[in-house]
Amino acid sequence: MKEFAPLLHGYWYLFRGAEMTLLMAAAAVVPATFVGILLALAQVFGNRFARSAVVGYLFVIRGIPLLVLLTFVYYLLPLTGIDLPPFWGVVVVMALYYAAFMSEVFRAGILSLPRAQWDAARSLGMTRQLMLRIVIFPQALRLASPPFVSLCANLVKATSLVSIVGLWELTMASREIVERTLAPFQIFLGAAAIYFCICYTLALYGKYLERRALVGH
Amino acid sequence: MANILSGAPSLAIDIVPVLARPMLEMSGVSKRFGTLEVLREVSLSVQAGEVVVVIGPSGSGKTTLLRCINLLEDYERGIVTVDGEPVGYRLDAGNQRVRLPEREIAAARGKIGIVFQSFNLFPHMNVLQNITAAPVRVKGISRAQAEARARELLAMVGLSDKAAEHPVRLSGGQQQRVAIVRALAMDPKIMLFDEVTSALDPELVGEVLAAMQQLARAGMTMVVVTHEMSFARDIADRIVFMDDGVIVEQGKPEQLLFSPTTDRVRAFLKRYNDRYRI
Amino acid sequence: MPLDPHFIARLIPALIEGAEVTVELAILTFAICLVWGLIVALAHSTRGPLSWIAGAYIQIVRNTPLLIQLYIVFFGFSMIGFGLSGFASGLLALCIQNGGYMAEIYRGGLQAVSLRQYEAGRALGMRRATLYRTVIIPQVVARIIPPMTNQAISIIKDTSQVAAIAVMEMMKVAEVWVESSANTYDVFLGVAVIYLALTSVAGLAGKLFERQLAFAQ
Repeated sequence: MKEFAPLLHGYWYLFRGAEMTLLMAAAAVVPATFVGILLALAQVFGNRFARSAVVGYLFVIRGIPLLVLLTFVYYLLPLTGIDLPPFWGVVVVMALYYAAFMSEVFRAGILSLPRAQWDAARSLGMTRQLMLRIVIFPQALRLASPPFVSLCANLVKATSLVSIVGLWELTMASREIVERTLAPFQIFLGAAAIYFCICYTLALYGKYLERRALVGH
Repeated sequence: MANILSGAPSLAIDIVPVLARPMLEMSGVSKRFGTLEVLREVSLSVQAGEVVVVIGPSGSGKTTLLRCINLLEDYERGIVTVDGEPVGYRLDAGNQRVRLPEREIAAARGKIGIVFQSFNLFPHMNVLQNITAAPVRVKGISRAQAEARARELLAMVGLSDKAAEHPVRLSGGQQQRVAIVRALAMDPKIMLFDEVTSALDPELVGEVLAAMQQLARAGMTMVVVTHEMSFARDIADRIVFMDDGVIVEQGKPEQLLFSPTTDRVRAFLKRYNDRYRI
Repeated sequence: MPLDPHFIARLIPALIEGAEVTVELAILTFAICLVWGLIVALAHSTRGPLSWIAGAYIQIVRNTPLLIQLYIVFFGFSMIGFGLSGFASGLLALCIQNGGYMAEIYRGGLQAVSLRQYEAGRALGMRRATLYRTVIIPQVVARIIPPMTNQAISIIKDTSQVAAIAVMEMMKVAEVWVESSANTYDVFLGVAVIYLALTSVAGLAGKLFERQLAFAQ
């Protein structure tokens, strides 16, 4: 128990790091979802040009590690002269990265709806806009929620990568304490425990949504 | 169709007077799936208040024909007219086919009610919402009025107590009756039924057929695709036999079912009789 | 000065060297985890305390970031005096995490092949060994190829995080070059292209594998 003294002294610092982690994740999730929906719509309803553009974007983004993108935005951004604080720089990168994965999730949700639902809505005289709004999207979002929540958990874990480019969040905070106290096991285990609490909660929520999505289909 | 203000008793559907002009007119409709010709220059005329039942072997094109009426399926040639107005395509001055704008197509669809084999109710809405969604949002009817009409129709098919339920809690027969009501709520001029009892357990078929009988007696123009032969005989004013994308023969039920003039019809009915006995 | 051919001529061999390490790490991880993941999956499917331990293991590694696991392994071991090299730590951490993910893939594959197949086979009088060999296993294998392919791609990308403990895989090499030259853009391009090549090859291999299997049936 004495070995865990460094953790007992440092846990408050870790919590503040966790706060920053959650802030970063929350800031990235919103634009990621928004862009993800747009990309999915472009793929399902767009013309050939839009579709190829989106497919190309997805191919590139999903084939390169997030760390590569983060690192190079970190080095490139000052050169382009855009005056963006590093926090927002990494948030934008993570948002654009996860938007790619989210678009696949939303696209699958839309496409997995039986054709019959489209038939019924059209037969009642609904325009495409109305049909999407009250019939297709509510159901597609319900179907997409479980994998979406899973992606959110991945996003939270991915925030740890920003510590490599020098931004401060939970992982960086734990590295700082470890450098001071030279107790890597305890501190990193503590950080892992915090990540676990956040992500496991999301995973449980995702399981709950999965069970709910099965009802009525 | 219904006169909510008149306080008329249980019949929520008015008797429709027979018009001189056909309610549904399909001329020369042709459709192909790739290299397969599913419909070959099919022409069909249905009078107002008439109940036409379409029978035939699977693959004959009867479901496709139905789906072409409200342009759920696109067709390469031919014109469909409902209540005097073209649906999907019209003929311009030079007798060329011109596709109508999407808005007009959607409006035309509102006049055509269709009930599907797989019910197709919206699972995320309850029964009442399913029925009122289109009248409120497409026709702009007030929610109160739409709900009143919905409840009236639900009473007609005996499902008043299910208004707040979600489709998943209803039996197949109940869902199908709700589907019929949902289509009726748009006050269509014509109702299309696509094998609506095929997906039901046998003991649930009766309640759906009863609802359709009610509609027929009230004077609704109906086109029914089915393979329930005894029902066809009971409800049809005219039976149409389709095979291989064409209408082979049509006539009054007693005539077509018991003394058909074509070999193909005879063969089809014999096969059916051997299995089911009309 | 983007797209400087002289610079690129010097850059590419260095990146290739790093890519060799990347590929080595990825292939070793994938191969080891194919076995280790199966072991964990089998342990998870038993009834008893072993199942619980396996389940906890899976949940822990899935809900904590790879980077933290990496730090625990690397710094933790050097603290005990067991000093693992960067490469070994990276390999160990990657295997620990992907073992958990692969166990879940195996579980999904086994669950998907329905109980009815098993019952039907038994009703036909098949012995259990034959049943598994000719009916169950081929179907499970066919079903897990797509997620395994995705996992392979994920592993290739995750190797980039090993740069955090100074292993000279491709990401680290790139970082070194970026810091010592002004040609960030070229380095980024080179790294991106090579990663895309690697992940595309993995994806194609997976698809080929799928096709071969379908053909053989």
